[in-house]
Amino acid sequence: MIASLWQYVLSGVVDGAIFALVAAGFVLIYQVTGLINFAQGEFAMIGAMTAASLATAGMPILPAAGLAMLAAAVVGALFYLLAIRPARAATGVTLIFITLGLDVALRGLALFVWGTNPLSLGAFSSGNAIQLFGGALPPQAMWVLGSDVIVFAALYLFFRHTYAGTAVRAAVANPPIASTFGIPLRTFAFWSFVVAAAIGGLGGVMIAPITSATYDMGLTLGLAGFVAAVLGGLDSLPGALVGGFVLGIVEHVAGGLWSTGWEQGVGFLILVLVLVLRPQGLLGRAARRA
Amino acid sequence: MTLRFSSVAYGPIGLALVAFVAVVVWFVPSYYTGLLTLIGLYALVTIGLNLFMGYAGQVSLGQAAFFGVGAYTSATFALRAHITPWIGMILGALVAALVAYALSFVALRLRENLLALATLALGIVINVVFNQWDFIGGSSGLKDIPGFTIGSYTFDQRAYAILAWALVAAGVWFAGNLVRSSFGRSLIAISVGELGAQALGVHAERLKRQTFVLSAVYAGAAGAVYASQASYIDPTSFNFLLSVNFVLMSVIGGLRSLWGAVIGATVVVALGQILQNVVPLVLPSARGDFQSFFLGIILIAMLILLPRGITSRLSEARRA
Repeated sequence: MIASLWQYVLSGVVDGAIFALVAAGFVLIYQVTGLINFAQGEFAMIGAMTAASLATAGMPILPAAGLAMLAAAVVGALFYLLAIRPARAATGVTLIFITLGLDVALRGLALFVWGTNPLSLGAFSSGNAIQLFGGALPPQAMWVLGSDVIVFAALYLFFRHTYAGTAVRAAVANPPIASTFGIPLRTFAFWSFVVAAAIGGLGGVMIAPITSATYDMGLTLGLAGFVAAVLGGLDSLPGALVGGFVLGIVEHVAGGLWSTGWEQGVGFLILVLVLVLRPQGLLGRAARRA
Repeated sequence: MTLRFSSVAYGPIGLALVAFVAVVVWFVPSYYTGLLTLIGLYALVTIGLNLFMGYAGQVSLGQAAFFGVGAYTSATFALRAHITPWIGMILGALVAALVAYALSFVALRLRENLLALATLALGIVINVVFNQWDFIGGSSGLKDIPGFTIGSYTFDQRAYAILAWALVAAGVWFAGNLVRSSFGRSLIAISVGELGAQALGVHAERLKRQTFVLSAVYAGAAGAVYASQASYIDPTSFNFLLSVNFVLMSVIGGLRSLWGAVIGATVVVALGQILQNVVPLVLPSARGDFQSFFLGIILIAMLILLPRGITSRLSEARRA
């Protein structure tokens, strides 16, 4: 009983690390633009599908992963330039609907490009499962956790130790005043979409060897990312990391002890509880008007 | 602006629409009659959604779940307790209302971004329940759902179309009276600014809750008719994509317009049919939910180019 519980926790950690990547994208865009990007999960789908089809065509895994992130970043850039920027005068609800439209459109586009069949992507490295206190982690787990470390460390260094990062934080804290100091808000908004899409794409690449890649994987993954982001606090990057792991572990433990069909339900139950009891999330600052 | 167009008499036009449908169904193939029914039922859901989103200024991305609750309630009562769909329709609306009432204590504390997220999540949780609860069919759904009857006459496709549009007429008439009453003006006040509305003595929380529940009543009744008309339902009939479709109908017709709901439902269903037939000719590889690509693009384009919907253009034209 305890042994299998521990195994659920380990599996949850792997999923959680991926949720954290998707959540990081939400938080980035939300911090910089105040917008919840409902299409975030589709960036992960594009990453996964691109990497899987390139790898199937014979490309080595690492360049394929890099190109997949690039593809997601390009989609993020185009989305900002073609849909968000022209509508920048719009109110919150209109922008929500626009990102919702993109979510649906990207899923339809993926159907055109890749069809309904799942694509598989081989594990990044072969080798035996890693034994840890009687539980097992797949070799892929090291890649997933490693990319979490790199992404979150890079974001931390950028925001805390670079001039541009400080400028972004100023823009988040007070957009009008930051703007009078010559901080280019729109440029930052653009880059937040690009970077969020690339990170989301990386999340997709990482999960593809575990679940295989399908055109409709974005919704589930995106929703898990939302829950993780809200759980940790929408305005907190460390929160995204914590929220991702908590969600991954809770989903797997609940799914293992109860039934896997309820996994998603449990995730949303957490979301609802957080929204009611602590809308700012575990690590977020006092509730911002959202 | 939008009020001008919607000040057209709701009752008479609604009745004229029912009469039109009642004539048309005798001259078109039953496939199109079925589509007409679908348009009517979707329009009904969208009317309710427009009250909540357009007038009260809120957002719901989970309306398909209420449609599903209505469908499952009526179908389950009909199959398990042999209760006629006429009662089932009322029970469907009632259960959807109860679910909305319970959820409102969670959802309506939130606004915009988080409200959108919460309704989306609740919609998916309800879909998980449809999938997991074996009593109501689980993932394989319910089949052979009894149809509506009058005496010994069992409804055919024509009768369903007339029933659906009679409900639309009643729904538009009721909603029309509502939005022209102080209730409707209070909703608009809430959409402009909740704090300001409260300062003027509008009980914002209660009105939002009542509107949310009312939107679920519309969706639940429509869902109940849908279950009997389709005679088969499963959880995929009420998924997230359908909720997005309702939003699209709302946006296309114009959020703050009741006829806009009818126009939006017509456009979206017709568009879906055209895409389904035309796209495979151009791109033979297209299959599955590929229409969602176009629906998404249209949604984005509408919001950028015509954010207040088709009816806003019509009312401008009337003024000119």
